[in-house]
Amino acid sequence: MIVITGAGIISAIGNNKEAVWSSLKGECCGISAPRYLETSHSQLPVGEVKMSNRELAELCGVSQEECTRTALLGIMALREALQQAGIGRDETASMALISGTTVGSMDKTERDYLSCGSVDVIGDCETSTLQMASKVGDFGYITTCSTACSSAANAFIAGAELIRSGLYSKVAVGGTEALSKFHLNGFNSLMILDKEICRPFDATRAGLNLGEGAAFMVLETLESAMERGATPLALLSGWGNACDAFHQTATSAQGEGGYLSMSKALECAKLTPAEIDYINAHGTATPNNDSSEANAIKRLFGEQVPLFSSTKSLTGHTTSASGSIEMVISLLAMQHSFVPANHNWSKGMDEGLTPVAKGMEGVELNHILCNSFGFGGNDTTLILSKFNNSTSTKDSYTCKRLEQIRAQIVCAVDYNSIAPEEMPAIPPMAARRMKGMLKRALVTSLVALNRAGNPLPDAIITGTGLGCVEETLAFLNEIYRNGEQLLKPTCFMNSTHNTIGSLIAIHTGNHGYNNTYSQGGDSLYSALLDALLQISLGEIESALVGWHESAGERSVALYVTKYSENGGEELRMDNIKEICGRYCL
Amino acid sequence: MDKLKAQLKEQILEALSLDEMKPEEIDDNAPLFGEGLGLDSIDALELIVLMEKQYGIKLSNPAEGKEVFKSINVMAEYIAKNRTR
Repeated sequence: MIVITGAGIISAIGNNKEAVWSSLKGECCGISAPRYLETSHSQLPVGEVKMSNRELAELCGVSQEECTRTALLGIMALREALQQAGIGRDETASMALISGTTVGSMDKTERDYLSCGSVDVIGDCETSTLQMASKVGDFGYITTCSTACSSAANAFIAGAELIRSGLYSKVAVGGTEALSKFHLNGFNSLMILDKEICRPFDATRAGLNLGEGAAFMVLETLESAMERGATPLALLSGWGNACDAFHQTATSAQGEGGYLSMSKALECAKLTPAEIDYINAHGTATPNNDSSEANAIKRLFGEQVPLFSSTKSLTGHTTSASGSIEMVISLLAMQHSFVPANHNWSKGMDEGLTPVAKGMEGVELNHILCNSFGFGGNDTTLILSKFNNSTSTKDSYTCKRLEQIRAQIVCAVDYNSIAPEEMPAIPPMAARRMKGMLKRALVTSLVALNRAGNPLPDAIITGTGLGCVEETLAFLNEIYRNGEQLLKPTCFMNSTHNTIGSLIAIHTGNHGYNNTYSQGGDSLYSALLDALLQISLGEIESALVGWHESAGERSVALYVTKYSENGGEELRMDNIKEICGRYCL
Repeated sequence: MDKLKAQLKEQILEALSLDEMKPEEIDDNAPLFGEGLGLDSIDALELIVLMEKQYGIKLSNPAEGKEVFKSINVMAEYIAKNRTR
């Protein structure tokens, strides 16, 4: 059993749990015209944390130059979470930290680039995670999930696996995302930003408002919590990750990915749909998301749709951090028996589902389901359950012994070693959107699958330090040259790190687990570790693991399966670093 | 009008990175989305950018694009009528 013993949050509606709770109760909206973000789009409302970088740095006790805004927000939330869990700095060495972000260092990168037209590194997620980590603790393992708007939710899954496998008894998981000119313009180029305060699940909804913030939770085994004398606040009882595999930016009409992630999470928690008391929906207020999510909810819950709301019309869409921000909001809801309002809702949409328009007090919430859906169809659902003393104290998970953690590498393909006759053909309509790295990644993955006998792997797990650098640079360069107008949506769409993994899923029709790690030179390690743990835990039987970088034109794909006596090379905890070293220079 | 259509096709191929296609391969009457050329929602957004950049026509809602981008013929007519540059 995995218990939550600490939670921290900073967002447009408050800089800590207490402030956020008070805003939720009073239905105080944190969305307004941009004040801290430098942008010419003064007409686009955003959910900003109401503090400048200088003020944040002062509060964190660091110098402003040392940290990106993403890191500063993260420090605030991570500290609050550890403090509540009663974990001091000296205890963090035995912990893992998994953060979710996509913007990463972009707030600093774009400042540098837009002032001089060049920058050393672009698309980096690792640095802000490391900055945050080093100011808060000495974590034994640090990594970053980057699957756009489901990043933080996937950090929960990665953390839960580390606990289930027995490698860690305590982890800190969550996500942090600062507003940037880059992604505000990116979402604007996709024409999905509303100039008014957004209206999730409303017939008149016309797009989302971006927000920023961070939230973290401490997850641990019940035994660990008991031993330390920490109070369990709730349980992380279930989780599910699936891929819509439909389109890079649009969701399928029937919400296949969301339906699957919710179904998997219920199965994981051993709950029936009827046992869910409240859904904190993804509910971005784009016409596409809300219609698709409503259809997925109807498919799963039928006539008995639980109370549901989207809190994004209060906080704004905090993108990569939204999964953890909404988990903390859900925890506050559970603790106060309060269903937060779907603020600004007035008119029912065609799909027929009506959210909770006004906050409801006195509703006992035993199980809350929380959705986070990302570009590329990276859909993740988490379930939070009430902890009570009658809850069985016996740990239902078998923590693995180290020697039980093993898998095998069926084949490994390096792009540079693919013979011309083995190169798969990519249809021209798909190929036209793939510049160098995306095409190399897809080709290498297809060759690996082909050599493995064309299976449909249970998971696609990608590592990339910087993602699609060409596209990210092209979009930033357009802003530099032409200002914040008439930008090419294709460049923005391809700039997210999970573009690679979701493209492979779309191309091969794979609805399975899909996750992307972006942790510099350790990205492949994180991806391979995820595959190894899930295979050892019996969650999956096979995974396509890749490492793809623009620099040096490196692309590697490995097909990994359950261990068998006469298979390929064995993958274990004691040789995983060495195997990564063969590919990552 | 023929000159506009020819120019428009070139611009579309460039904006949508359809490097392997030639302008003459696009039928003036064929639908650009769905059955015909097979463009998608991101292409529609790229075409909206193209309309403003090249012809000074602002489409503020992707839904408007659906009507305007029916075919090369419809698009060219709309441009001829509404262009500001």
